[in-house]
Amino acid sequence: MKALPGWYPIFLREMLLFRRKLLRLSYLFSAMIVPLIYLVAFGFGLGKSVSIHGTDYLSFLIPGLVAMSSMNNSYTWVASALNLNRIYFKTFQVFVQSPISHSAIMAGEVLAGMVKGLFASMLIILVGLATARGFTVTPLFVLTLLLNCFLFASLGIITGMLSRSHEDTATYTNFFIVPMAFFSGTFFPLDKVPFIIKAIIYIMPLTYTNILIRKTSLDAEGLVCLAVLCAYAAVIFFYGSRIIRRYSE
Amino acid sequence: MIEVIGLTKNYDEIRALDGVSFSIADGEVFGLLGPNGAGKTTTIKILTTLSRSDAGRCIIDGYDVTGSPSEIKKRIGVVPQENNLDRELTAYENLLIYGMLHAVRDRGRRIREVLETVGLWERRDSVVQHFSGGMQRRLILARALLPEPSALFLDEPSVGLDPQIRRHIWDAIRKIRKDRRTVVITTHYIEEAEALCDRVGILSKGGLIALDTPENLKAQVGEYVVQFVDEEGQLVQHICRSRDEADERAKTIEAAVTIRRANLEDVFIKLTGERIE
Repeated sequence: MKALPGWYPIFLREMLLFRRKLLRLSYLFSAMIVPLIYLVAFGFGLGKSVSIHGTDYLSFLIPGLVAMSSMNNSYTWVASALNLNRIYFKTFQVFVQSPISHSAIMAGEVLAGMVKGLFASMLIILVGLATARGFTVTPLFVLTLLLNCFLFASLGIITGMLSRSHEDTATYTNFFIVPMAFFSGTFFPLDKVPFIIKAIIYIMPLTYTNILIRKTSLDAEGLVCLAVLCAYAAVIFFYGSRIIRRYSE
Repeated sequence: MIEVIGLTKNYDEIRALDGVSFSIADGEVFGLLGPNGAGKTTTIKILTTLSRSDAGRCIIDGYDVTGSPSEIKKRIGVVPQENNLDRELTAYENLLIYGMLHAVRDRGRRIREVLETVGLWERRDSVVQHFSGGMQRRLILARALLPEPSALFLDEPSVGLDPQIRRHIWDAIRKIRKDRRTVVITTHYIEEAEALCDRVGILSKGGLIALDTPENLKAQVGEYVVQFVDEEGQLVQHICRSRDEADERAKTIEAAVTIRRANLEDVFIKLTGERIE
């Protein structure tokens, strides 16, 4: 019998749990509600009278909402579940005491986080395809989405591992994720933002996702964004693996 | 064979373990007895790679716990103090995931074997959150046995269970003992240590203060205990070497007196002046 890769049981466990969560409508509702509110309020409300760079606002907004939703869902579900599993349910300890590598634990959790992020994004994409005429899904869009899910699921691991309580996780989210959702180009283009604020905005990885995900093909700016996102993703993934490797109670 | 040499662990300013040393032979059932905070769980956590020691060494089957954690993880089974099962998964799914993590061969057959051993095969498709505390403990025991570990670590295996369920857990541990597996149990239940362990190490405030068979430990302090409640309502106990000595002692006491055999708690009281529970 061929040995399974170390990440697979971690991923399978998360998927079994995810399947059960999906049967509860509250999960689906919580994954959908925030982006749908933005979509209705900004897209269908404000968006009717606004156009950006010659395209309708809804077509500008949908990719941003996909980026935001994939970030929120990849990050939040991983961070809060890992925090709870480590501190309260102690199920994380089962992984640490198993003969699989720390990178395998990281990879299994990140892949599962990506699935959750992609699932929430798919719902927005479907709404976008049905309502926004200028919105299309290109290979670059899919690549960016996958990379964004990977990056924020990895960041979720770091938060989940470093938080000392569930309240800690919420604090990290409020300080890092919420500002990123609003200021990194989800709802408005960044070209008219003052220079000082722009400097801060360009530290945020979601900014590069928002630029890249709206491009139809990979130009010079897109290549830079892709490189920055890959660098962020690699650093965060390896740092997360390192935290798991050094885990000691 | 398990060897623990000078194990020391600090949590900030608190010294949880202070140079603890002992060795456990293959196939032995070894107990670590002591009150909460004595260092039992810390010892188990270090031996099972969950925690790192500040000084000292632990060697299991020739492998150093710090130097070769992967080799250790292939050889151990752990029953932690908490019921750390996935409560939203079924019993079978819990074992399936664990079997994959430990690369268990012929998983389906092994899962059936261990679930039958603990009497849960019929409940394999039930979601764990509907299990009682005793059933969850049995499922964790089955999980720990799934990869056929050479050493099994049980941290307070029957804590919080009612006496009848506790006896079921003891029976399951006795079955494991027949497989000649090395078993390490931490407990603060006197009866548990006496009922299951070949040898018992008594821990107090991070130090190992006694180590021997339960019979030898009791023989060191005396065989019988004379106890009575004094005028202030305090329980008073006198340990005596023989039944005759106990009878003589009882005659000198005016209150209602009970004479009973000494147990490991009497050993603990004699050594530390405190009670275990």
